[in-house]
Amino acid sequence: MESDMALRLVVGLALTIGILAFAGRRLLFLVKLARSGKPATGRLSDPTARFEAEAVEVLGQKKLLKWTIPGIAHVFAFWGFLVLGATILEVYGALFIADFAIPVIGHWSLLGFAEDLFGLLVLVGIAIFVVLRLTNKPEVKGRFSRFFGSHTKGAWLILFMIFNVVWTLFLYRAAQYNVSLYTGEEHFPFMDGGAFMTEWVASWLYPLGQTANEVLETVGIWLQIGVVLAFLLIVLNSKHLHIGAAPVNVFTSRRPNALGPLLPIMYDGKPLNFEDPPEDALFGKGHIAEFTWKGYVDFMACTECGRCQSQCPAWNTEKPLSPKLMIMNLRDTMFAQSEYLLAAKGSHPGLGEFDDAALASLSPEVRAEVERPFIGSREGSDHASEDGYTPDGHRTSHPDLPIIDEEALWACTTCGACVNQCPVDIEHIDHFIDMRRNQVLIATDFPAELNGLFKNLENKGNPWGMNASDRNAWISEVDFEVNVFGANGEDTIPDDVDYLFWVGCAGAFEDRAKRTTKNVAELLNMAGVNFMVLGEGETCTGDPARRAGNEFLFQMQAAQNVEVLNEIQAKKIVVTCPHCLNTLKREYPQLGGNYEVVHHSELLADLVKAGRLTPVNKIDQTVTYHDPCYLGRHNKIYTPPRELVSASAEKVVEMERSGDKSFCCGAGGARMWMEERIGSRVNQNRGDEAIATGAKRIAVGCPFCSVMLNDAVTTRQQDPERAIGVEVVDISTLLLQASKS
Amino acid sequence: MKIAVCVKQVPDTWAEKKLKDGSGILDRESVEGVMNELDEYAVEEALKITEADGGGEVVVVSMGPERAGEAVRKALSMGADSGIHLVDDGLVGSDSVATSYALAKVLDGRGFDLIIFGSESTDARMSVVPAMVAERLGLAQLTFANKVEVAGGNVTIDRVTDNGLETITAATPAVVSVVEKINEPRYPSFKGIMAAKKKPVETLSVGDAGIDAGQVGIGAAWSKVDSFAARPPKAAGVVVQDEGNGGVAIADFLSAQKII
Repeated sequence: MESDMALRLVVGLALTIGILAFAGRRLLFLVKLARSGKPATGRLSDPTARFEAEAVEVLGQKKLLKWTIPGIAHVFAFWGFLVLGATILEVYGALFIADFAIPVIGHWSLLGFAEDLFGLLVLVGIAIFVVLRLTNKPEVKGRFSRFFGSHTKGAWLILFMIFNVVWTLFLYRAAQYNVSLYTGEEHFPFMDGGAFMTEWVASWLYPLGQTANEVLETVGIWLQIGVVLAFLLIVLNSKHLHIGAAPVNVFTSRRPNALGPLLPIMYDGKPLNFEDPPEDALFGKGHIAEFTWKGYVDFMACTECGRCQSQCPAWNTEKPLSPKLMIMNLRDTMFAQSEYLLAAKGSHPGLGEFDDAALASLSPEVRAEVERPFIGSREGSDHASEDGYTPDGHRTSHPDLPIIDEEALWACTTCGACVNQCPVDIEHIDHFIDMRRNQVLIATDFPAELNGLFKNLENKGNPWGMNASDRNAWISEVDFEVNVFGANGEDTIPDDVDYLFWVGCAGAFEDRAKRTTKNVAELLNMAGVNFMVLGEGETCTGDPARRAGNEFLFQMQAAQNVEVLNEIQAKKIVVTCPHCLNTLKREYPQLGGNYEVVHHSELLADLVKAGRLTPVNKIDQTVTYHDPCYLGRHNKIYTPPRELVSASAEKVVEMERSGDKSFCCGAGGARMWMEERIGSRVNQNRGDEAIATGAKRIAVGCPFCSVMLNDAVTTRQQDPERAIGVEVVDISTLLLQASKS
Repeated sequence: MKIAVCVKQVPDTWAEKKLKDGSGILDRESVEGVMNELDEYAVEEALKITEADGGGEVVVVSMGPERAGEAVRKALSMGADSGIHLVDDGLVGSDSVATSYALAKVLDGRGFDLIIFGSESTDARMSVVPAMVAERLGLAQLTFANKVEVAGGNVTIDRVTDNGLETITAATPAVVSVVEKINEPRYPSFKGIMAAKKKPVETLSVGDAGIDAGQVGIGAAWSKVDSFAARPPKAAGVVVQDEGNGGVAIADFLSAQKII
């Protein structure tokens, strides 16, 4: 007996020390690699929100549960592994002491029950995962599989290993149980009941006899330890790294999420001063070594689950962009260039320069990889339309071609579906915009259409290149008085003005949006809200420039607007454009502009509730509402527009993709100003979904959605059978119509 | 290869422009000034030629008020190497004849192999300055180019005419003017904008450039604005309601206007 225990201990410890040495080396490498990134600012501020996120998203698995069945399966696996932590303690205890039990709680039946229950639930979880993987095979479903391009072989190995963890667990526990029965020594801590699975398995092993069970006990313990350690090694060397990286990533991610405002370009912990930038400042990301440590943790945390990809407007319309593949590509690049990153230790100067000493220390192969162009055209390369990935997660290598496909980079509409979905809080959009910044500010290699946008913004202060003097043109088309700032010589907004109505460039210059402007003005007038417009003093908020990567231009536009708004002491602002809303409300605080900004749907919904607007004539038609990304996902305004639609129309239907799962119209991320050359059209995809609801009116709350969806509907109307009488309207149009007797 | 690019700051192309009461000179202060769009193509072409050549120098030359310095900086931020800004109150109101004289004075004797212009300015729209400058300098003029090739001491262009393209070759030094089809002007990178702040710009007065003050300015102009009036507002159009006779109604309208 004594010698048996000694053998058990020696083999167990030898296994552990041997494998832990490898695991420790790998862990150290990963930590060093993450730390070699450039500095990131504010990643530990507001710890309360961070611990809360950890509780809700990690322990509570909230984002995983957005998808019910896969979510529950993951809850089983995740909580299973937390609870089975107790069995790891027990199995190591059993190496030293045959009748080991965890102090105090170690003999509680409830603990035994919990361990067995979660062991069983892990099995249920992996059974669900197996079914999900079999029914979502990328080889069969192609791009429509969320696992397209993910490492499916690795995923199967992980599932197999989890299965091994569980069966070896029950094997040694059952043998322990039987040995306890034979000898009366309490090898198994839960002889008083509770461990129902163990007892059931034990009943099958009991007939093998005492000796066999004694052998099975020791062998089972070795197997359990061996499997757990092997699993640890696999985790550290695969996409399953998320087990460790995800909690770190969730803790250090932007709170409440990485949507809404974009981050300014930072230097030394402060927003970069474009007037006089330091010599060593970086303007975006033009090389993997220019990413921050948070970027590296993002890449390590990706589990390749593909929830981002399943919702992506670019991927769903056959563009080469999948947020998942982009993150995987960045991660593969990070590992491929890790030797350089570790040697340079964050001293990579960027802007096309390298840390020469670090570069000189590399083998020719790694050096070639490090010096490979980062962003550019991958046209004509293998699997170009899938961002260079094969269905089973193999990255096709083209040593001469750039790493990031520019077509993928510019396909992003910044709709935020990926960020919203990601269970581990990866900040996809921030990375894409950082790379766009490099393309615009440093490389000047970007879609030619943006030239016109930038020039118009610079010279005319609006994307269309219209004259500022025409900003008030809509006023002459309404039959009530509109207060224009400065018309009566005022220097600041008078106290009796309730809202500054920020009309926006679309609202002033684009025909459909102009109608919205007039409708909102009329409704406000009807409700007795005293509002004022800036007229010629307005310029573009800078949103399209910022989303197109032209941070310099954004900063100029924004500084000018903040100066004006602060000077006239603007406090409450109403807008009809969600992009203006996002910029004025959430980005201008970065430049010292703090205002109370509402979308017209919020203000109008309040006015209806207060009885100041009464929809007396409900529209006798079915209406469906399309959530604009910058109103919904980016700013969490889902209810007020729906309240308005319900108040104005007899019947409302929802599209399948609505609320935080709304599908982009295709105009965000400055895509409004770019040609869509690859695949099918995003706006058509969404328009067809809206038409399929049978609704006669498609309500929107954004001038760009309005244009895009209107185009989609018009296209379908050229086919005489379809979309007859379907109209895309702003919610204010519905309300105005319903408010008139 | 040393190339001069002549650029002009013009009032924003699409803005409503005003003339000053009395003199009838363009009121430059009332509108945003931008670099003449066609000159951006000229700068781009010069940069392309030197880049393809693997070296050389691009000098931006501009005549205009203080504010025209912005156009020079813009060209420098695109990648030109240095600038010359001719600025003098005595130049105000110069017509194209005087402008060509002043520019020729500045350009002469500086050893340029090529002098490139945009084919016209979007404010005056005369298109004659490049030809006049060539004449004054005694150089070949190759105007309205939509393709420029420089090789072996010769410059060859495809010249856009109403009837098609003409291919013209001349020995350098020569004067070239380019049309907007020739290239896609680059957007200045932020790096370029920063670098432009440090690039040298030589500021010249009429005296510095050896210009005879009597030959420039409004006094020397060969043409004179007698009177001017604002363009009448656009009249409302005729709306044809299509009640099955839309085609006929449009045809009637067009024939009434003697268009068909």
